[in-house]
Order: sequence, then structure tokens, then C-alpha cells
Amino acid sequence: MTLTPLVDDARERLLARARREGLIAVGYDVMDSPLGPLWVAVGPRGVIAIHYGARPDERELARITRTYGPGVVPDRGRCDGLLIELDQYFSGRRRTFDVAVDLAPLTPFQRRILAATARVPYGEVTTYRQVAREAGNEQASRAAGGALGANPIPIVVPCHRVVATDGSLGGYAGGLAAKRRLLALERGTEQVPAGGWPPSRR
Amino acid sequence: MACHLTSARASPFYRREIGPVTFGDLLERHEREIFAYALRLTGNRADADDIFQETFLAAFRAWPPPRSGNERAWLYRIATNKCVDRARKTKRLVPLADLRLAAPERDGVTIADLAAAVRTLPPGQRAAFVLRKVEGRAYGEIAAVLECSEDAARSRVAEAMKKLKEAIR
Repeated sequence: MTLTPLVDDARERLLARARREGLIAVGYDVMDSPLGPLWVAVGPRGVIAIHYGARPDERELARITRTYGPGVVPDRGRCDGLLIELDQYFSGRRRTFDVAVDLAPLTPFQRRILAATARVPYGEVTTYRQVAREAGNEQASRAAGGALGANPIPIVVPCHRVVATDGSLGGYAGGLAAKRRLLALERGTEQVPAGGWPPSRR
Repeated sequence: MACHLTSARASPFYRREIGPVTFGDLLERHEREIFAYALRLTGNRADADDIFQETFLAAFRAWPPPRSGNERAWLYRIATNKCVDRARKTKRLVPLADLRLAAPERDGVTIADLAAAVRTLPPGQRAAFVLRKVEGRAYGEIAAVLECSEDAARSRVAEAMKKLKEAIR
């Protein structure tokens, strides 16, 4: 008799009860993407985090609990919509995301920067200076870089489409190889395997 | 743009010395051992499931855990109290077949013998016995779980052992 299925069952019932009692605010899941594992989290008003790696660091988790409280639990069902859209994106079948995102915990400046970033079309790039200008302060390109570096929802808010004014890639939370790959995917220069990428669910 | 240069962001897996930040953390770290403990104390899946849920719901409601790194003893204490309360309320006997998981096997003693003896122990002694002899916990930890002194934990285990030896003699 192995314990795992019993614990899985007990956990599901526990989480259902905790949800009914209003103790849960955020559900997370982990997907295997072509760029490695992605930890994704969905809050009451939409997607709140996409993190490169199987688990965010303490700082990232603390950022989430400051806003939403400690009720952050594994919840595949709540993340399904996002994971499906990410799957479609990685297989080249989706150019824009329809899921709601929640940027409320950010500062107004960060929100303006990310809103300007979200308007950069699929397959195109812009510069830090340009998004700073669109956010209302052309001089603030360094701060724009900071806001993009702190983008809690990469890929969906496509900060990979923002590069340095001299044409160099700048930086990226998921690493420059990931940024390059996302841009290649969007420009159609990356070969998508027949039948799409391998199944990206865990 | 230096500010956006956060490639290969250090992403340490949680460190034990830092307390759980979220309910999910607490669950991931302790769900298995708490379920196993509840199973050993109650001897059946349905009750273990209830104890498991009540324990974690109580922990969620009482958030945050008392002190960083101490959440384990805290959870065991909640689980133990839930089991003791339940045993007092229901005075229910444990089905023998379910106690297979609860009892370590000994030479010359059948599991059924031992299981039958374990179920006759009062809840406090049963918890002390399971924590010490089945889970191998240190007396300090058992004392924290049962909210008693280490000496009291020792004597509960000793008393349980004495009763068990008498029962299976």
C-alpha cells in the first residue's frame, strides 16, 4: 500500500474545503515548456506570475503573499487556461494572450511600462527608450529596464520584445538564450517541430 | 540596460531554516508525514483523512506558524490534539486490518497482536508510542508535540511499552 495516492486524495479534499472557506487566493502549477520549467500563478483577478524555473525564490513568493496573503496553493484547474494558451504560443499557434493579467500590485510607472510593452506586436521589437516614451517619460529608459526586469508575467507581457537602443538584446529574466529563442519563434526563424513542441504539461 | 540584466536569476529551492511562506509551502513540506502520522494514530484511512484536513485547515486559520523552522512540531501537535479529541468523542475502536500500517513487526508477535494492543492504549500514550517507536522521533520533539516535558514523554512511552508487553505476553 503506497501513501502517495492517499495523500493526493487527502490534499485535493483539503484544498476544496479551504477554497470553500475562502482561505485560498492564488493557485499555482508548473509546466514543462520548451524553455524549461515555468512556475505560473493565477490570483483572483488573473495571472499574477510566470517564473522561469520550477519554483520562485523567497522574494518572489513574499511579493505574492504581501498582496494576496499566504493562501497560495497548487491548483492545476485554476491555471489550465493560461497553460493552454502558453502551449499554443510555444507551438506557434497563438500570437496574443486572452487570459486576464493582474498587475495591480505594481507601481503606476511599472504598470505604464508593462502596458506599453504589451502593445508591442508579436514578432516585433522595440527599445527601452521607446517604452519609456510611451509610458510618458523618454528619459526614464533605465527605469524602464528596471520595470521590465521586474516584470512578474514574462511571455504574456512580452518584455522579450524590448531591446537596447544599440540593437543588443539587453537582458532577460529567463536568460538571453530564452529571449533569443522567443524572438526567433515569433519571427518564424525557429523551426517548430512537426506536431508542435513536445507536451509541455508536467 | 543594466537593470534588465537578471539572467539566470538565482532560484534557490526553499531553505529549511526559512519558515513556510505560503500554505502551499507548508503542505509540500509536511503533507506526507502528517498523513502517515494520522494514519498511524487512527489506524484507518477515513479518519486519517479527516485528521489531515482538520490539521492543515487549523494551521491555515492560525497562520503564521509560531516560529521559523518550528512548524513541524506545531503541525504534529495540532494533529495529535485532533486525534485525541476525536478518540475522546467517539471512543471508537480501530479496525484491525487498518492497523497493519500502524504496527511495526516484531519477532514472535503477529501484527494483529500488536495492533490489538496498540488500540487499547489511551490516546496520549498511543501518540507517544507511535512518535517514538514507529516514527523514531527524539524525545524533545515528542515533548513539543504532546506539550509536555521530555520526562513526561519518556514516561508515556515507557508506560505504553509496559502495557504493550503485558498485552502480548
